[in-house]
Amino acid sequence: MIIIKKVTKNDPSTVLYRRCTIDLASKAVNFEDVPCRNLEDVMGGFGRSFQILAERKIENAYCPENPLIVNTGLLTGSNIMTGLRAYFSAYSPLKHSSKGLPAAMWSAGSGNFGSKLKWTGIDEIIFENRSATPVYAFISVDEAGPRVSLRPAGQLAGLNSHEKIMALEKVYKDAHFAAIGQAGENYENVSMGVVALSTDNQLKSGEDKCRFAGRGGMGSIMGYKNLFAIVAQSTNRLGPISPEVRDVNKVIVRSGGSARFQPVSQGGGGGTWANYEVLQAFYAVPENNFRPKGNDGVEKLFRESVEKKLEVRTEACFRCGIRCHNNIFRRNPDGSRGEFIAKFDFEPLNLFGTNLGIHDGAQVAELIKLCDNLGMDAISLGTTIAYVLDYNERHPDKVLFNGAKFGQFAQIRELLKRTGKGELPDIGKGLKRLAEKIGETAFAMQVKGLELPAYLPDTNPGYIWAIAGGHMSMGTHMLLAKEGKTSLDDWVAAITGAGLLQVGHDMIGLCKFVGFGASHEAIVSAILETTGLEVTSQELMQAVRRAYLRGLALELQQGYTDEDFTLPSQVFDSPNENVTLPHFVTRDYVEQLKNRIWEIFAPEMDGLLPEG
Amino acid sequence: MQVTVTLIGSFRLKWFKEMVLYYDHDAELIDIVNDVGMPVEEVGIILINGRHSSLQNRLRDGDIVTLMPLIGGG
Repeated sequence: MIIIKKVTKNDPSTVLYRRCTIDLASKAVNFEDVPCRNLEDVMGGFGRSFQILAERKIENAYCPENPLIVNTGLLTGSNIMTGLRAYFSAYSPLKHSSKGLPAAMWSAGSGNFGSKLKWTGIDEIIFENRSATPVYAFISVDEAGPRVSLRPAGQLAGLNSHEKIMALEKVYKDAHFAAIGQAGENYENVSMGVVALSTDNQLKSGEDKCRFAGRGGMGSIMGYKNLFAIVAQSTNRLGPISPEVRDVNKVIVRSGGSARFQPVSQGGGGGTWANYEVLQAFYAVPENNFRPKGNDGVEKLFRESVEKKLEVRTEACFRCGIRCHNNIFRRNPDGSRGEFIAKFDFEPLNLFGTNLGIHDGAQVAELIKLCDNLGMDAISLGTTIAYVLDYNERHPDKVLFNGAKFGQFAQIRELLKRTGKGELPDIGKGLKRLAEKIGETAFAMQVKGLELPAYLPDTNPGYIWAIAGGHMSMGTHMLLAKEGKTSLDDWVAAITGAGLLQVGHDMIGLCKFVGFGASHEAIVSAILETTGLEVTSQELMQAVRRAYLRGLALELQQGYTDEDFTLPSQVFDSPNENVTLPHFVTRDYVEQLKNRIWEIFAPEMDGLLPEG
Repeated sequence: MQVTVTLIGSFRLKWFKEMVLYYDHDAELIDIVNDVGMPVEEVGIILINGRHSSLQNRLRDGDIVTLMPLIGGG
């Protein structure tokens, strides 16, 4: 990012970002320095990419005009802790309105790819059209600036995401990688393909420890474009850490927002895995397609239970002080640590665990590993398979696919594997399409065409206003468990206030695990230190709010109507009495909530999208 | 006054699973947190007899208090 002059006030037009447009059909590459239109452009991530998507009328995600936008945030590749994020944006092949139009989506991931890309001097790549044959993009930098070339990728075909990365690593040193798995290659039958991002730990150990930009099928878009991978090669451009940045990092690593993700041995909560025990206190851990049984069955996946058979090692992303990863290894007969299997975060652990009726830690880890390597989104796939199992339990005489039921590991594994290979398009194209095809939508746990993460919809009407993933773009998924609040006033305030501000992390390049504990002042200070830009906390929040509302406006532009803004009807018609949290999400409640929230949002959305 | 304190998640590893505390005077939830030696900023969810409460809530004889750590998604 180039700052033309030292600014004394936040003036976006004084900041230019370096865009690289790559036409995959003609192989033409064009660089331009683009003046920022507003603070959203300066911050980056989806704040910038959604303004580009808003300029396009896309009716089918798999069309040449649908761009894949790869960008970073203002603080990606900086000395600010967790500044590792890379963003992938496009019209989604998975999330779509009831009118059948694709929704704009972004997905973010850590690893080192984002920093490496930033250090080439490129802030944004727009991949236009599609290549006739498989290619990968090689991005590097020399004295003259960034260089880009497209290279044949036939040798990568059929490899899983980790194998693609390791094959490229043999060729390109001092580089990091974004790659798809077989699922992305089979994009026609798999709409939930992810982009795998390489990590230092992965490249050094050879273990499949990718990070993922998972939601919305951005890997499937890469597959459609015949873009199998992106290589970013550059040298480390981190300068010395100033005292001010060190202070910001101290706030990040010690704040309440991040402390919950630190290991227990470090005084933290033990990563997102800890949610299992807390939510179980309310019998609110998803089981058997989001229907908790009200017993202690899920405790088999508590950390202390899993540790009896498997090794758990706590690790962190590159240069991050928040050691949130719980990596799972087999245990050798002599008691030493054996083979790495997978990483346990709450979402995949639950959605391939008790939500499928699986209560064995090793089996869950195997499913996560398979899903990751084939290159599918664990949330979308896990939740779609849970629906299949639920359907088969309800209809023993006309089962779907292989007739798998809850807890049947081998059959579930088969579904997962065949989906990734493109053999089960009814699963691969996502839950909304599957449930509508079958004609049973009540227990299909999706909202607006995107599968729900591992928090009960019965406890979170905020899902309705998430714009890119239920828990990643609306921070209300634990509000009921945390505070027990059920009044309309409380939920209106949460959704239209702090809840939507969560997407700010998806603009500036920081991880959500920084949390709200790192105050806005700390972020303002970080931006000043890193870029010289002076912005106020108020200006930051206004920009985040505009970016969120632009996303909501884009949903309406893509055909979303009132009927899309709802929860699975099972929530209203069959409340689960096993959950001890208050039951308050009724149809009437949601209607009142919608009226109140649109009253606030609708006027603010005026003028956020291009005319016409 | 007798109060039963139940801890959840990582709190169980740091302190205890369940303990009965006795007070010969009026007490608030904050007194329990202090007596256990728990940093206030680590307390995420507080229940008294299963209902969400705050640190300033007064306790009554026979109350069951549940304390849970901060949680987050991902």
